[in-house]
Amino acid sequence: MSDSLKLTLGPLLFNWPADQVAEFYGRIAELAPVDTVCLGEVVCQKREPLLGGTLAEAAGQLADAGKEVVWSGYGLIADEKDMAATKGLAESSEGLVEANDITALPFLQGRPHAIGPLVNVYNEDTLRWLVARGATRICLAPELSRDAIARLTEAAGEAELEVQVFGRLPLALSARCYHARAHGLHKDGCQYVCDRDPDGMAVDTLDNEHFLAVNGIQTLSHSIVELSAEIDDLIGIGVTRFRLSPHHVDMVAIAHVWRDLLEGKRDLPRARRIIQTVAAFAPPSNGYFHARPGAVALNN
Amino acid sequence: MTGGALELVCPAGTPASLRAAVDAGADAIYLGFRDETNARNFPGLNFSRDELADGIKYAGSKGVKVLVAINTYPRAGNPGPWRAAVDDAARLGAWAVILADIGLLDYARQNHPDLRRHLSVQASAANAQAIKFYCDEFGVKRVVLPRVLTVDEIARINDAVEVETEVFAFGGMCVMAEGRCLLSSYATGESPNMNGVCSPAEHIHYEERDGQLVSRLGDFTINKFREGEPAGYPTLCKGRFRACSRDSYLFEEPVSLDVSNILPDLMKAGVTALKIEGRQRGKAYVAQVVSAFRRAVDAAARGEQPDTADLASITEGGQQSTGAYEKGWR
Amino acid sequence: MSQPGQRAPALSPVLLLGFALRPAPKPALQAAASLAMAALLRGHRSVFERLEGLANRDFLIDPVDLPFRFHLSAALPSPRLRILGEDEEPAAPVAATIKGSLPALIDLLEGRVDGDALFFSRALAVEGDMGAVVALRNAVDGADIALTEDLLRPLGPFGGPARGLLRAGGMLYRRAERDLETLRAALVAPVQRRCDSQEAKLRDLDETVANMPTRRRERQS
Repeated sequence: MSDSLKLTLGPLLFNWPADQVAEFYGRIAELAPVDTVCLGEVVCQKREPLLGGTLAEAAGQLADAGKEVVWSGYGLIADEKDMAATKGLAESSEGLVEANDITALPFLQGRPHAIGPLVNVYNEDTLRWLVARGATRICLAPELSRDAIARLTEAAGEAELEVQVFGRLPLALSARCYHARAHGLHKDGCQYVCDRDPDGMAVDTLDNEHFLAVNGIQTLSHSIVELSAEIDDLIGIGVTRFRLSPHHVDMVAIAHVWRDLLEGKRDLPRARRIIQTVAAFAPPSNGYFHARPGAVALNN
Repeated sequence: MTGGALELVCPAGTPASLRAAVDAGADAIYLGFRDETNARNFPGLNFSRDELADGIKYAGSKGVKVLVAINTYPRAGNPGPWRAAVDDAARLGAWAVILADIGLLDYARQNHPDLRRHLSVQASAANAQAIKFYCDEFGVKRVVLPRVLTVDEIARINDAVEVETEVFAFGGMCVMAEGRCLLSSYATGESPNMNGVCSPAEHIHYEERDGQLVSRLGDFTINKFREGEPAGYPTLCKGRFRACSRDSYLFEEPVSLDVSNILPDLMKAGVTALKIEGRQRGKAYVAQVVSAFRRAVDAAARGEQPDTADLASITEGGQQSTGAYEKGWR
Repeated sequence: MSQPGQRAPALSPVLLLGFALRPAPKPALQAAASLAMAALLRGHRSVFERLEGLANRDFLIDPVDLPFRFHLSAALPSPRLRILGEDEEPAAPVAATIKGSLPALIDLLEGRVDGDALFFSRALAVEGDMGAVVALRNAVDGADIALTEDLLRPLGPFGGPARGLLRAGGMLYRRAERDLETLRAALVAPVQRRCDSQEAKLRDLDETVANMPTRRRERQS
């Protein structure tokens, strides 16, 4: 059974220093039992030069370690420069490219590609349309419920459907940079303040409830989606890929927990305990899967 | 795509608003059916099939076009209501449908090839290539541009693509990429994409606490107001939050978009139509805004600088913004 | 407009109406309310149809300057408006309670306050399901109701005096705003005089209303 179930490490969404990124992927390559690793800057084009050749090197290491590398494209493609970069990514990449904005689709037409969670795939018609044009793997939007996911897997045919099972949820993108704004800066002169928050900047309510997290132009959930308890259900409805979204925690440990789960070692209390100990900076949530508000954590 | 006055596309949440907008000088009316197929699925709002038929008749008698917004994302396992909405809009003689979902665009193209298709802002097509994609694949004739572009960017898009563009002119502002925002469902379980609502009223609660009015959305505090401070609708992204040890309108101040003073620039940028936001607003508001914009658009078409004093008085608290149209917004 | 937080109600036409109506027996008021609802159902059925998506279509409307409250049951086929005494509770659970000065409530019902502006102003206090209140607002706005015209017309010969009362009240209200204290005493007397005859007429309405249900059925069939 575990042969058909794959573990994906999603793209790193945050602005970490290049040496930390190199070390992170070095460890993943060496130690993390994941099948696929998505590389690439998804959130902010301005960060890309900071990493230099770090990701290309990481790609080599990961490939050498037998892992599939997928290149993830920008979430918000705004101008001609972004478009040219996306075109370049599509043309130069040997492996699968993941589109995170509809704009990337024309570059990928007719060749196998992946669709990321930032592209709206809500129903069977849209799913089939994308698959007919070459999408082989689709990571679904976080707000879809179990029933919607089940319907989509039925319609997916040969395409693999992926669901994010760990990490903060990507909730919104804006032309505006909220990291810069919170620091009284303008997007064009942002001083890269997003590097101060390796898991996103806390956005609390006026009653000091934790609520959201800002990551540059992106808004994430404060809570960490944690679907270990839903694993039987996920597999039962035909999900074959499970995405872990990277955080500044021991992702190797998280990957091991999920590898065990996929291989049928279902000690759920232990899995949950490890995940919540490793990622202690925010509480877990699973509301979306259960057709509830995304922030909700249901015990099941 | 230049010359002539900007087309004025006006909101109608009810038949009364439709008549008010038509009488006030709208060129076109956009509206939705009374269900989750449109992005203003607010309680008590929108049109039955019979009301649409009557509305099209009334608008048609004054030479005004009717556009039907079917701009939420059809639910997996239940495409029926969305397809029926497209079918009925075609059958009842709507001038165009405003769509966002790829699957639904494809359905409309295949089943109603002669029905004019506009791309909803909910599709968030913010650059020339995305727009071209929707035109090539689905024969889209007009694109409603996201509220995140500058006038220069709009001009470049109009240079690059052979399609009509429609821009938001007045009313509420979305600060996130439209159709790609899950903030509402994170707090309430209901989102623009799936349910046609953002920060829905049934999840709002007000509390009086220590002399302050506290607005809550789901389980989260969105804002607090001192006595006498005007309280706005607690849309999530217009709330006050705490970040970097500072309380602020982190995402956006509660301002209202108003482009009336840059109408000549928008004409020069090749824009075809102006959209007034507010299907959830009352008929009195609609009548007031539409007639003010009618005068402003006509003045701009004559080459005059529009007088915008009327509009300033409509905006709550006089707080207006040209939003992202000017680059400093970002 | 009075703020819900304030203790003393503003002197408003409705306050005057309250003074005027206080001596009227509740059955007479109830009769007038039922008549008005019958007229609304006849002329603006769409108001109620627009509310059909709501699970609970009962509202408690509490004009803070009147000595009674309204319980609106907006569910078709037979919507009702019941007059409640100050200590009387609605017979069914309500979706929401809307509290405010009657001028503010009339603004809401006549569509002068819209769904967004409802929240900008603090003239109205809402408890319960905000969605239901927005729905009610939207439904009424969609129907082109003129409260005074549509609801007072069916009162026939009695509509005139009632309209006069509202108008007089409105005028007095504006004067009262200028000099509340001196006018307060002067106001009550003339309104009270008008009210005496009004009371008799409202009592007559009772009988008229007794025949209403039959007529309503005939019209619908």
